[in-house]
Amino acid sequence: MSPPRSRNESPSSSRERGQPRAETRTRKAAAQAPESPEAAERAARKGARSSRVSVESRYRSWLRHHAAMARDSARRLLVAPIASLLTMLAIAIALTLPAALWLALDSARLLDNELNDSAQLTLYLETSVDESQALTLSDSLRDAAGVGGVRLITAAEGMQEFAQALDLKRSLSLLDDNPLPASIVITPLDTTPESVRALATRLEGEPGVASARLDLAWLERLRQLGELGQKVTLGLALLFGLGVLLVVGNTIRLSVESRRQEIEVVTLIGATHAFVRRPFLYSGAWYGLGGGLLACGILALGGNWLAAPVTALVQSYGGNYVLPALGVAGGATLLFSSTILGWIGAWIAVGRHLASISPR
Amino acid sequence: MIAFEHVGKRYGGRFDALAGLDFRVERGEMVFLTGHSGAGKSSLLKLIMLLERPSRGRILVAGHDIGRLHTSQVPYYRRQIGVVFQDHQLLTDRNIFHNVALPLMIQGVPPREQARRVRAALDKVGLLHREKALPIELSGGEQQRVGIARAVVNKPALLLADEPTGNLDPALSADIMRLFEDFNRIGTTVMIASHDLALIARLHHRTLELSDGRLIADKDAR
Ligand SMILES: Nc1ncnc2c1ncn2[C@@H]1O[C@H](COP(=O)(O)OP(=O)(O)OP(=O)(O)O)[C@@H](O)[C@H]1O
Ligand SMILES: [Mg+2]
Repeated sequence: MSPPRSRNESPSSSRERGQPRAETRTRKAAAQAPESPEAAERAARKGARSSRVSVESRYRSWLRHHAAMARDSARRLLVAPIASLLTMLAIAIALTLPAALWLALDSARLLDNELNDSAQLTLYLETSVDESQALTLSDSLRDAAGVGGVRLITAAEGMQEFAQALDLKRSLSLLDDNPLPASIVITPLDTTPESVRALATRLEGEPGVASARLDLAWLERLRQLGELGQKVTLGLALLFGLGVLLVVGNTIRLSVESRRQEIEVVTLIGATHAFVRRPFLYSGAWYGLGGGLLACGILALGGNWLAAPVTALVQSYGGNYVLPALGVAGGATLLFSSTILGWIGAWIAVGRHLASISPR
Repeated sequence: MIAFEHVGKRYGGRFDALAGLDFRVERGEMVFLTGHSGAGKSSLLKLIMLLERPSRGRILVAGHDIGRLHTSQVPYYRRQIGVVFQDHQLLTDRNIFHNVALPLMIQGVPPREQARRVRAALDKVGLLHREKALPIELSGGEQQRVGIARAVVNKPALLLADEPTGNLDPALSADIMRLFEDFNRIGTTVMIASHDLALIARLHHRTLELSDGRLIADKDAR
């Protein structure tokens, strides 16, 4: 029962024989177990070389396997183009709705900012305040806390604006006296509803100010609508993200099932879970990436399709609104998250199946 | 190389597929495992490959209690064992070369080194000229030889085979067994489950006989 001499003479042979625990570290040496004394010597020298070489070569082989699996799984998708495309399309549709909503919300938020800028409050002065007093008051308000900008509208200017807006020149000229008070338009520094309201109450107490008027109700309503939209989008994104996981998971489950024998065989001859999982993770990532690209396409097409009617509609209101587009950053985010989703979906599907396939 | 210490295996908690197994196989030995169908030959090999864990006792391979191996270490343990299956378990979607290269690929051996060792293994089983063929293009005996090439491409210290000649005619079976003897001659410990008693008798190797999960005979035929 004596083993051949060459094996005993080689330092690497003892590693090769036993110590499964140490095997990871000395795999290379073990894998090159020699048959002839010359080979034994060669292997021994290799084993004695610095471990950096082995780490480096293992890293390289790891990278090689990743590249090979990425290529192989892409090739497998291309072998069944229709099936792959359908899966990607399902992913794309699941991604399009939340992405479109997000875009709409984003543009609404832009609008919101403009509205904030126009969140002004108007102070109506007592009619007893004359023009020079009004000027003094507006100058003093300019330096008041929380005030960003001040614009004085004298009684005469007010009348003029009023007349212009309503085209009432003639009838107003019949009036002897200007019934309008002077007013000061304040642009607040902080445009949140609460602070604007606080500013209004404070300024209302100033001597010479009859009343302060601000119209925040509609602004606030819009803000609430935005918040609602945000929550709906988030909810939909979560829901549809889950949908993507399910679509990818199901597809990967089928492909795991169809490669069951292969998985069993490679597990029997020493493949790690990571090794078995890798090709499927790449498939999942490819599905996700493909779905993301299709979703970008759908969004772009949809944007084009809607652009003309939306522009016409907005113009009829005298507005100037451009439909939001995904942009580079948005597109990158979409692709990244769809790829990650595909990868996670594959991970879950393979993980569940590995447990059932691999022996304990 | 292998030591069973009071090993028992119970499936489903009802009956013992293996019971009270106690034996040793030395390094470099060649051993046959026989017994009637259902005697527990496959179960015994599965225990060594850690496809199953024993219900009782412990198993030492190369001096290590394999029951203490963590699940994450099992793949690395399996890489040290070559396994030949009755139905050879070749992957039908790739050619002979890539089938044999599989263990090396799993271990991340560089491609050039892979090619060298695959060709060496295929040469040993006499199939070097068929490396581009698909498994279905080969005869049963040739497929089995590819399975053997895959099992030894890694130069394992231990080679296990479960009915490697189950489907083959006597002449081919003898060929396959000779192949195993060749590997044994260069130092590989070989354990073969088979019920081809006539063939085993002609080969003069140690034979373990199982019956209903118990070791009933341990004949050193030499
Ligand atoms: N996974 C399992 N679950 C339950 N029982 C099992 C399992 N595997 C094997 N057995 C039982 O254990 C016993 C031994 O089976 P084993 O496959 O080891 O026999 P064998 O000697 O290899 O037979 P054969 O020569 O027919 O291949 C049988 O009675 C079988 O039914
Ligand atoms: Mg069996």
